[in-house]
Amino acid sequence: MRAGAKVAALADALAPLGAVREEQLAGAFLVLPAAAIHEAAASARAHGFDLLLDVYAIDWLAYPEHRGPRFSVSYHVHAVAANERCTLRVHVHDGDPLRSVTDVWPAAGFMEREVYDLFGVPFEGHPDLRKLVTPEDLDGHPLRKDFPLGESPTLFNGGRFLDPATFRAGMIGASRGRTGWIGGARKGVVSAAPEPDPTDAPRGAAPRGDA
Amino acid sequence: MKLERKGYAVEETGRPGLERSTTGEFETKHMRINVGPQHPSTHGVLRLVVDLDGERIARLTPQIGYLHTGFEKTMEHRTYQQVVTYSNRMDYAHSMGHDLAYVLAAEQLVGAKVPERAQRVRVLLTELNRMASHLLFLGTGILDMGALTLFFYTMREREEILTLLEMVTGVRMNYGYFRVGGLASDLPDGFEARCRAFLDGFPKMLDQYATMFAKNDIFLNRTRGIGVIPPDVAVAYGLTGPSLRASGVALDQRKAAPYSGYEDYDFEVPTSDAGDAYARIMVRFAEFEQSLRICRQALDRLEPGPIKDPDRRISLPPRHELETSMEAVIFHFKLVTEGFHPPRGEAYVATESARGELGYHLVSDGGSMPYRVKVRVPSLVNLQSLEAACVGGLFADMVVNIATIDPVMGDVDK
Repeated sequence: MRAGAKVAALADALAPLGAVREEQLAGAFLVLPAAAIHEAAASARAHGFDLLLDVYAIDWLAYPEHRGPRFSVSYHVHAVAANERCTLRVHVHDGDPLRSVTDVWPAAGFMEREVYDLFGVPFEGHPDLRKLVTPEDLDGHPLRKDFPLGESPTLFNGGRFLDPATFRAGMIGASRGRTGWIGGARKGVVSAAPEPDPTDAPRGAAPRGDA
Repeated sequence: MKLERKGYAVEETGRPGLERSTTGEFETKHMRINVGPQHPSTHGVLRLVVDLDGERIARLTPQIGYLHTGFEKTMEHRTYQQVVTYSNRMDYAHSMGHDLAYVLAAEQLVGAKVPERAQRVRVLLTELNRMASHLLFLGTGILDMGALTLFFYTMREREEILTLLEMVTGVRMNYGYFRVGGLASDLPDGFEARCRAFLDGFPKMLDQYATMFAKNDIFLNRTRGIGVIPPDVAVAYGLTGPSLRASGVALDQRKAAPYSGYEDYDFEVPTSDAGDAYARIMVRFAEFEQSLRICRQALDRLEPGPIKDPDRRISLPPRHELETSMEAVIFHFKLVTEGFHPPRGEAYVATESARGELGYHLVSDGGSMPYRVKVRVPSLVNLQSLEAACVGGLFADMVVNIATIDPVMGDVDK
């Protein structure tokens, strides 16, 4: 929302790196190639964007008609003196590392660890890249779209166990752990849960809500 | 950024925790000790791994995640209205702030128009809750320094605020009272009078608090010049909120990017240049006065009127319409079973919670549930400044620094 002269100057300065400016309700976004993030971060810092508010990732796996790399990592920055803000965004494939910006903004320490923990995007050059919030013995990255929601199976009379996610998926005939309203039509009880699509294939190839 | 280690020299050995100190008469080794997760001063479950050089802190690493609940993942599987149930459970001391931040982002996404009265009530309740949060901060913060009495006094006034909020919402914590498009219900009868009585009596209580701690020699010695965070370090470590303003950076989202009509209210942003624990306490203490001013203005301008967006695709129709209008029944059914579908896009509204910048980044895929919810929580980011405040200081001052940076662990771990 608050994008003025500073953001315009930064967009011009980052244009040689391949930055494309996009406007969202959330504000101005500068979409960059993944390799340019560190240089762009240093440039943003030099342009007066001294407060790093947040680093967050989005898993586009289940997003309808999404093409391109699976993850995007966004750096929400604020210029305190000018009261302007924008977001630097890069897209990365599953497993591809990003260069850490902890030397530009020390605040990125926890934020990059959080992205690493919950999405599995590794950061090169991070001084202390460990899990942040999930337990050491948890495998996987919970905020990925193919990670199940994780409810505990319930024991019913007669020794019958019900796994809620599988049960619900069977009731509405859809995959588990996906977003979007897909209820409303009961299609009978299907016992086996469909396996989520582990590949990093471009979206659009598979129908939505179905793996 | 390498933190300056005040007053003593350390020789790096390349092995964490085994640095040698070269200041004293003889060579010492660092001692690594563990604080928490169950420790009364951490106000929750915060574990700190501290490397000590004698009594001074050489390195401090917070270990968090003991309260991780996966709120973001859960929210991605709930409709936009249902998320209100979860948002307030993160920062349980300033629940209204989380509710407000969420509904503002969702309203930006769906394009809801919130009526004037709902905006005023939101501001009023958020500021009341901010005072309750600061009262908790003040009471427990000074309790950590050994002064027990003030805690009971601040709890007394906090109780009155919680009673006021209970009148409105029905619960004392985890309110979930704001809705996308407005409010759940209108203010009850008798609320305004009781709220005014509290607002009139509270300044006297503030004076009473001040006589109890502000000139106390022990308090001054334990906070003045302790845990200094210079403004450049504070900004580099992402500190926001009252703790940042105590370092001399007057960044307040209520002024920098007003939301919910904050631009209409007359209030100031207290700051201090000292950056120490004393400044962090006194900036929050000065915020009581400003919150009181905002509350009074909100009450004065409270006009009767609608409390939610009349758009039937966003707000539930009034109960009486369901008995006469088939269309109302259909809208009601669609909203309850399915919810509304915001267009594709991303929304974020920065708000000022009692702890710093708080915002919900929502990504919509056109469905009735958010595709991605990312909560920018202030406590998690502010916690990184703890090392900047503590390194070089005495171990006993760490407790003061934790208290004055004021993290709420539910807000840290999400």
